[in-house]
Amino acid sequence: MYARKASELVKEFASSEPGQLSTFNNDLFAQVLEECEGHLLHLQPLMRKIQEHENKLKDKRRSEDEVEISEDERRKSEAEKVILQTALKSDQFGALVHHLSLVRNKRCLMAYIYNRAEVIRSLGWMVDSVLPAEIEEKLSSTEKEYFKNHVATLQSYMSELDLHLTVDMVPPKDPYIKVRVLDDIGEVALSDQVANLARHAIMFLRRTDAEQYITQGGQKQRMLRFQYSLDI
Amino acid sequence: MDSGAGESSAADEYESLMSTTDAELLKSAWRNEKAAPEILKFDADLVQRSRQQIQLMEEMVDEFNKNGVDPLTVSLYQMDLDRTMFLLRSYLRTRLQKIEKYVFHVEKTVELWNRLSKQEQKFARRCAGDLKHHLEQSALSKLPDQYQSHLRQSAASEDDDMIPEPQLDIYVVCRSKRYLGAFQLDDGGEEPVNIEADDLYALPYKSIKPLVESGQIDLV
Repeated sequence: MYARKASELVKEFASSEPGQLSTFNNDLFAQVLEECEGHLLHLQPLMRKIQEHENKLKDKRRSEDEVEISEDERRKSEAEKVILQTALKSDQFGALVHHLSLVRNKRCLMAYIYNRAEVIRSLGWMVDSVLPAEIEEKLSSTEKEYFKNHVATLQSYMSELDLHLTVDMVPPKDPYIKVRVLDDIGEVALSDQVANLARHAIMFLRRTDAEQYITQGGQKQRMLRFQYSLDI
Repeated sequence: MDSGAGESSAADEYESLMSTTDAELLKSAWRNEKAAPEILKFDADLVQRSRQQIQLMEEMVDEFNKNGVDPLTVSLYQMDLDRTMFLLRSYLRTRLQKIEKYVFHVEKTVELWNRLSKQEQKFARRCAGDLKHHLEQSALSKLPDQYQSHLRQSAASEDDDMIPEPQLDIYVVCRSKRYLGAFQLDDGGEEPVNIEADDLYALPYKSIKPLVESGQIDLV
C-alpha cells in the first residue's frame, strides 16, 4: 500500500515518550524518499499522456466544428471520443493517486522532522550549547547542525537583551536551595559566602549561585544536584 | 517597591492601586501569555520598567548587605527580587517558545509579526531561517521539484497550506475584574454569557480574544 512506510515513521515518533527522542530512523526515512521518487516516475509519464489525450480531444472537436461530416463519420468520431475520454479519465485518476500519495508522504516526512525539531529546540532550553553524548548520537547530522544554529540564535537574543533566560526554570520558593555536591569543586567565592564545595557535601546555597553549577551539567558531569533531584 | 500604596486610606483604593503596580501588571501579562494559545502584544514599556526596578532592587540588596542590615530583611528583599526576575524571564521565555513553535505562521501574519519586539523579530527571522534550512537539508531537497516548498504541500496548492497554526478555539479559564454584562460568544445560537466581576469562566479563546487584547479580562 502506498504511504504505509511514511505513516510508520510518524507512528514511531508518536509512540515515543513525549519530550524524548529515539534514534533518527535513517533507513525508513530513505525508503520513504525512495517511494516518493517512484511516485514521480509514475506520475511524469501519466502527466504526459494526459496532455496528449487532451490535445487529441481538442483536435477532434476542432475538426468536427470545421468540416461538415456525414452521420456515419460523426458516430465513429463520437465513439473515438468516448474511448479517448475514458483513457484520459483513468490516467487522470492514476496521476491523482500518485500525486496524493506523494503529498501524503511529504507531509509525513515533514511531520517527522518538524516534531523532532520541536523536541530538539526544547533541549536547547535545558542544556547549555552542548548536547550530552547519549542524546547526540540519536540525531541525524542535519539535526545536529540545526541544534547548533538554534542555540546560537537563542544566545544572540539573550546577549542582545543582556539577560540570561535559561536559568530560573522553576518558580523560586526560597532564595536558598539544598544541594549535594557531586564532584570536588573546592573553595568557591559565592555571592554571600566562601564555600568549600567538597564532594558529597550537602549544603544550602543561594539559588542563583547553585544554578550555574547545575546547568553546567551539559559540558562535563553535573557538579551539583538538587537534593530533591528536581533537575533534568 | 510598592510601599507607598500602603498609606492610602480606603481599602478598595489600596486594592486598585496594588493591581496597577508593575509587579502585578507583569504577573498578569505573564499569566495571559502563558494561557493564551497565540502570541500577545509585547509590553515593551512594562518590561523596560521591570528591568529598571530589578536593577534598583539589586543595588538595594547589595547596599543592605554592606551596611549589615538584619539578614532576614535582606532575604525577604532577595526573595522578592528573585520572584520578579523569574516572572520576567518566564514571560520572555514563554514568548520565545511560542515564536519557535509557530515561526512560519508568525512570520507570515502581519498582525502577529507586529506584536513582537525588535529583538523578537530578529530572533524569529533567524529561527525561521534555521528551521527552513533544516527542513530543506533533511527532506525537501530530496523530493521532486514541485514538492519542495516548506510552506505548501505541492506547487499545485493555491495558498500556503502546510503551516502549523495555533488552535484558537480551545477553552481558556478567565476572570474579569469588573462586571462586563452580557457577552455574546461568536459561534452564535447560544445564550450570551453574563460576565460578573471576579467569577471564573471557561470560554473559547477565540470569542474572548478582543477582551483579552483590550485588557478587560485576565486569563488564569
